[in-house]
Amino acid sequence: MNQWKNFSKGFIRENAVFTLFLGLCPTLGVTTTAINGLGMGLATTFVLVMSNIVVSLIKNQIPDKVRIPAFIVIIATFVTVVELVMKAYVPSLFDALGLFIPLIVVNCLVLGRAEAFASKNNLLSSVMDGLGMGLGFAMALVALGAVREVLGSGSVFGLSFLEGDGMLLFVLPPGAFIALGYLIVLANKLKEKTA
Amino acid sequence: MVTTLSIVALLAAGLLGGVYAVTKEPIRLAELAAKNEAIKAVVPEFNNEPSQEFIKVASAGDSLVLYSATMNGSLVGTAIETFSNNGFSGEIKLMVGFDNSGNIIDVAVVDHAETPGLGDKMEQAKSDFHVQFQGKHPEDFQLSVTKDNGDVDAITASTISSRAYCEAVQRAYDAWKETRAERN
Amino acid sequence: MNKLIVSPSPHAHTTESVPKLMYGVIIALLPAFAVSFYFFGIGMLIVTTVSVVSCVLFEYLIQRYMLKNKPTLLDGSAVLTGLLLAFCLPANLPVWMVMIGALAAIGIGKMTFGGLGNNIFNPALVGRVFLFISFPVAMTSYPEPGQWLSYTDAATGATPLGIMKEGLGDSTAGELMKEVPGYMDLFLGKMKGSAGEVGAIALLLGLIYMLIRRIITWHIPVTILATVVVFTGILWLVNPEQNADPLFHLLTGGLMLGAIFMATDYVTSPMTKKGMIIYAVLIGLLTVIIRVFGAYPEGVQFAILIMNIFVPLLNKYFKPKRFGKEVKRG
Repeated sequence: MNQWKNFSKGFIRENAVFTLFLGLCPTLGVTTTAINGLGMGLATTFVLVMSNIVVSLIKNQIPDKVRIPAFIVIIATFVTVVELVMKAYVPSLFDALGLFIPLIVVNCLVLGRAEAFASKNNLLSSVMDGLGMGLGFAMALVALGAVREVLGSGSVFGLSFLEGDGMLLFVLPPGAFIALGYLIVLANKLKEKTA
Repeated sequence: MVTTLSIVALLAAGLLGGVYAVTKEPIRLAELAAKNEAIKAVVPEFNNEPSQEFIKVASAGDSLVLYSATMNGSLVGTAIETFSNNGFSGEIKLMVGFDNSGNIIDVAVVDHAETPGLGDKMEQAKSDFHVQFQGKHPEDFQLSVTKDNGDVDAITASTISSRAYCEAVQRAYDAWKETRAERN
Repeated sequence: MNKLIVSPSPHAHTTESVPKLMYGVIIALLPAFAVSFYFFGIGMLIVTTVSVVSCVLFEYLIQRYMLKNKPTLLDGSAVLTGLLLAFCLPANLPVWMVMIGALAAIGIGKMTFGGLGNNIFNPALVGRVFLFISFPVAMTSYPEPGQWLSYTDAATGATPLGIMKEGLGDSTAGELMKEVPGYMDLFLGKMKGSAGEVGAIALLLGLIYMLIRRIITWHIPVTILATVVVFTGILWLVNPEQNADPLFHLLTGGLMLGAIFMATDYVTSPMTKKGMIIYAVLIGLLTVIIRVFGAYPEGVQFAILIMNIFVPLLNKYFKPKRFGKEVKRG
C-alpha cells in the first residue's frame, strides 16, 4: 500500500466521523464553534500521530496479553501532555474544550488506530495513517463546528455577521445531532460520486 | 509481561514528570492572569497583585473571596467573587467590584451554565443587563427584580437567572459590609 | 431477524382516502381557527398563512428537486402540518421565524424520514420545538388577546401556565389564580397563549366532529385528558397550596390542542387500542411531570414527541392481529 493512500483515506473514504462513526462524543460535544472544532481536531491529531509512532516502534516488544493496557498508558500520557501544554499556553482554548481533552484517552479513534493499524504496520505507514486520520477528524470537526457556528451564533471563526443570536438550537446538543446527520448525508453523496 | 508493562508505565511517568515541571510555572501564571483579568474588569486601576491579597468569608455553606485592589498602598476597591446556587441550571459565579463606600462599580460573570440566548444574557458581552448595577449603592437600590418589588429590570424571559444574579450581588455586598472594619 | 409486515394505519388503506381524512381534520380545526382569529386578529392570520404556504412550498421543492419524485401537493398533509404548526406558535411571531419553523417541520420532521407515512415524529411539533429551542425569547412572549390590528408590535406577557410556574413557591396557587384569567375566559380562550391552543370549547367541538366522522377514535384524546386530570388531581389534593387544580391544567396551555390534534396523528400514533391507551397515559403523565416538576411551564409538546419514539415499540408489542403476520425470510 503506498503512503499517499495511507494518508488520504482518512479524509472521506475512511473518515473517522463520517464513515467509521468513531469519536462521536467529542465530535458532538465541542463543536459549538469552528475554532473549538479545530483545537480539538489538532489535539487529537497530535495524540494520534504520537501514539501511532510509539506503538509501531514497540509493537514487537509488547506481549499480546498486555497490549491494550500498554496502548492506553501511552495514549493517556500524550493526552496529559496536550492538556498541560494547552493549560499553560492557550488557557482560553482549554477553558472551551475543558472536559473533552481528558476524554481523548477514550476516543475510540485513537485506540482503534493503535490496535488496528500501528501495531501491524511500520513506522512511516503509521505516521501517515495517524496524520491522515487525525486531519480527517479535524476536518470533520471544523465542518460541523462551522455549520453550528454559522446557524447558531451567526458568526464564522468568531467573526460575527449577525446582530444578536442565531438559531440557538444549533449551539445546544440537539443541534449537534441534526447538523451531523445532514453532514453525513453530504459525505455519503460525495463518496458515491468519487467511488 | 509485567516487566514490559512496568517499563512502559515508567517511561510514561518520566515523560509526564518532565512536561509537568516545564509547564508548572506557565500554568500558574495563566491562572493568575485570568483571575487578575476578572478583577480588573470590576475595580478601578490598581498596581498591586489583588489575587495575592485576599480574605475568605464563609456564606451559605461556601465561601466568598474578597480581593483588595490598592493603588500605591491605598485601597481603591474590593473585588468579591460571589455565587448563587439558584440559577436556572446550577451555580452562577460573579465578580462584583465595590468602591470604598460600598457603591457597586461593576459586575462581571465568572462562570455560569445558564441557557444560551436567555440566562446567558447576564454576560457582559451579550447584553447591557449589568449596566444598571453600575454606581448603585445596595442600601438604596433594592437588589431584586421588579417582579419582586425590587429595582432590577430582569433579563427578558429569564426571571430565575436574574433573581440568582441579584442574590449573588446581595451576598457580595453583605460580605463587604461584614468585613468593612477588617479592611480599613 | 423476523421480518414483519406491519399494516399501514388501518385508517388509511388507499391513497384516495388520505386527502379526504386530511381535509376532515382541517374542517375540525376551523372552530379553533375562528376563536383564535377573534382574539389575535391579523397576527394570527399572517402566521397561519405564512406557515401553510411555506409548508406546502417546502414540501413541493424538496420532493421535486431533492427526492425527485412526484410531488403530492394536494393530499392536504402539508396544509395540515402548516395549520397545526401555526396553531402552536404565538400569533406575533415574525414571518421569517415561521418560515424556519415550516422548513424544520417539513424538511427535518417529515421529508428526511421519507415523507408522509414514514416520519417518526409529528412534523408540526418538530417545527414548534425547533423554534422554541432556537428562539426562546420570541417563543415565550405571547400576545395579549384582543389586539386585532397588531402583529409583531402586540403587547405581550406570560401564559397562565407561565405565571403559575414562576409564582409557585413564593406564593400559593390560590393567590396566583387571581393573576390569571377566570375559568370562563380560559374555557372560551381569552388568555395569552399560542395562536390555536386557546379556546378549549372550539377544540372540543373539533374533537366531537372528528369522532362523529370517525376520523379518530376517542382512545387517545380522552385518555390523555383523563390522565392529566387524575394526576394533577392527586397532586392538588395532597397539597392545594402549591398545585393548581385539575381544571386549570386542563384548560391552559397546549394540552387540548396536543391531545386532540397532535397526539392523534395517524402516522405517529400506535395502531392498536391497547397501544393507544398506553401511549396516551404516558403522554398525560409526562405532560404533568414536565409542567409541575420540570423547567418549562408547558410540556405537552415534549411529551408527545417523546412518546412518538415509542410508537414503533408499542406497535411491535401490540400487533394488530388481523393486519399483520410474520413471514419467513427468503
